[in-house]
Amino acid sequence: MSQQPWKATEERRAYWSMISPALFLYVFVFAFPIIISIVISLSNYAGGKMFGGDSWRVTGFQQYVRLAGDPYFWLAMKNNIYLVLISLFGQLPLGLIFAYLIYRRIVKFGEFWQGILYIPAIISVIVIGIMWNIIFSPYGLIAEVINRAYAASFSRQVEQIFAAAGGFRVSDEVVKQLITASGPNALEIFAEPVEELKTLLLAYAPDQLEVVKQDLVNLLARKWSAAFLAKRDIAMLPILFVVLWMWTGMYLILFLANMQKIDSGIVEAARIDGASEGQIIWRIMLPMLSGVVVNAAILCIAGSLNSFDLVFAMTGGGPARVTQLLSIYMYDRAFMGAPDYPLANAIALAIVIFSLMLIVVTKIVERRYGGRE
Amino acid sequence: MSYLVMSVFALMTVYPILWLILNSFKPTPEYRVNRIGLPRTWTLVNYAGAWKIGEFSKLIGNSFFYTIGASIGIILVATLAAFAFAKIKSKATRPIYGSFVIGILLSIQSLMVPIFLEVSQLDRIIGDLLRLLGIIGQQNVNVFYNSRFGVLLIYIGAGLPIAVYLCTEYIRGIPDSLIEAARLDGASYFEIFRRVILPMAIPIAMTVTILNITKIWNEFALINILVSKTELKSMPLGIYRFSGSMASDYGKQFAALVIGMAPMLIFYVIFRKQITKGVFAGAVKG
Repeated sequence: MSQQPWKATEERRAYWSMISPALFLYVFVFAFPIIISIVISLSNYAGGKMFGGDSWRVTGFQQYVRLAGDPYFWLAMKNNIYLVLISLFGQLPLGLIFAYLIYRRIVKFGEFWQGILYIPAIISVIVIGIMWNIIFSPYGLIAEVINRAYAASFSRQVEQIFAAAGGFRVSDEVVKQLITASGPNALEIFAEPVEELKTLLLAYAPDQLEVVKQDLVNLLARKWSAAFLAKRDIAMLPILFVVLWMWTGMYLILFLANMQKIDSGIVEAARIDGASEGQIIWRIMLPMLSGVVVNAAILCIAGSLNSFDLVFAMTGGGPARVTQLLSIYMYDRAFMGAPDYPLANAIALAIVIFSLMLIVVTKIVERRYGGRE
Repeated sequence: MSYLVMSVFALMTVYPILWLILNSFKPTPEYRVNRIGLPRTWTLVNYAGAWKIGEFSKLIGNSFFYTIGASIGIILVATLAAFAFAKIKSKATRPIYGSFVIGILLSIQSLMVPIFLEVSQLDRIIGDLLRLLGIIGQQNVNVFYNSRFGVLLIYIGAGLPIAVYLCTEYIRGIPDSLIEAARLDGASYFEIFRRVILPMAIPIAMTVTILNITKIWNEFALINILVSKTELKSMPLGIYRFSGSMASDYGKQFAALVIGMAPMLIFYVIFRKQITKGVFAGAVKG
């Protein structure tokens, strides 16, 4: 190097002054918080002044021991793993298949489908969470559709029962059939179903058959309820569905953009040699896209482990914490009720460590089984 | 068959959103009896109500401020650092640039508790210091917590890793000869940055900025812990008020959700190509 010393100095000065704003912010937002969370997770800090003032000290690893024996932590962990799984085995394959359909022009107007499927990813996750919460609620879209189907089928049964009885005749037989058709509903409404329903029906004039039918449907048709969503193992289903709904479009775009870089001659040649579309995806596309697939998988894992907004807005972790995620559990510990900062920070670190670990695993799998693009 | 699958999925994507938009124009009593059909009476009354309850007139300005401020901040800080990483040789580049790349995967949401502790404790320290010097009385100091400045700082920092990465890779592609020529003309590195690098980095700057605009406008988790005063909040925090407990007033709830998604939908319609490009760029990393 024939550089004069003053030039080297100027160069160094320029270098450091250019990166210092970024470096300062990086330390402020990433490095320093990580140090805080390490220290606090090992301490008995209980709020208040961190420097000067109230005394607190490093006490060791008992927060991590607490976490290891905490059923809510493991429940949250399990839910996070469900999210990772639906992302890896739902979003990625669906995105890949849709991308392939568009790439091969098996479906035309690729731009159009791509544009539509990406829409959910552009909307605030808070909006999406609340929207789906309404849709799944007893007053929402799904309940309405299912209730209409129940009503239609019950009304058909009522029709048949009266047709068999030859018009609007109220007999014990008819009433019993109506009660059977309504499922458990009539038993819940009436204490003495047969007697009470009979009295009720006798109050109608004989020519009011249509009105009776309508009222019976309103009263007795089955109603859909989302109560089953409070059960531990299925409470996550709506959330997993929404996750799939939101992000598939993103992976579609990602895969399609990378497929378009592949020489279409290769695919054509394989087609001529008699390979099926499935074989082309499996044998040609996947190996050629392996680098992108691994990147997408890493994105998926990191995204799923850190997701917070959707569940926060959709269920808040409820009912009874069954849809809780690690991040929500951490938030609750720190900001709801009496703060437990050491535990919350231990959870934060656990999330960071899990995502790093999963990413390393993905990288190793890639080295072993997949070539680079 | 393929068309069927595609159409079903596309319909599933769009229908809930359309349903929401249509219902936002129904009066609440009508929604109770007509949950699926088109509105029989079209009304804007829900919007007026939601706008008032959500105090959106206070929030929308903040959303614009945070989005524009942080997007500009990110791109300036990132291109500056990227130029140094890409074009000035230094032993420090490997570890520092490497930590930015790792930062792409460290989602900042998992750090919200320590970040909250950091900003609130810093304010306390500054407050104690100023009191000690007798500059202020007993009032609280809000430099980082509950301040627009604090939010901007965190947002810019959070957006940096991916922006620095994308800009560095891009600037590496700019020929060295351009920079050397400018050096020979006696230009300083800052002049080169302004006259040579910035104009050439406009395409990547656009991509990064468009990506950031959508992210920051919709950001919730961080601002939720960084501010508690209404006059500092952004739109997503206002919309969150309409979750759950509004159960009796669907009309306003629907309207609030539409208010929440409309700006980004419009943005998407205008900038769809660039957003798609940004998604692609943002996901490609080593």
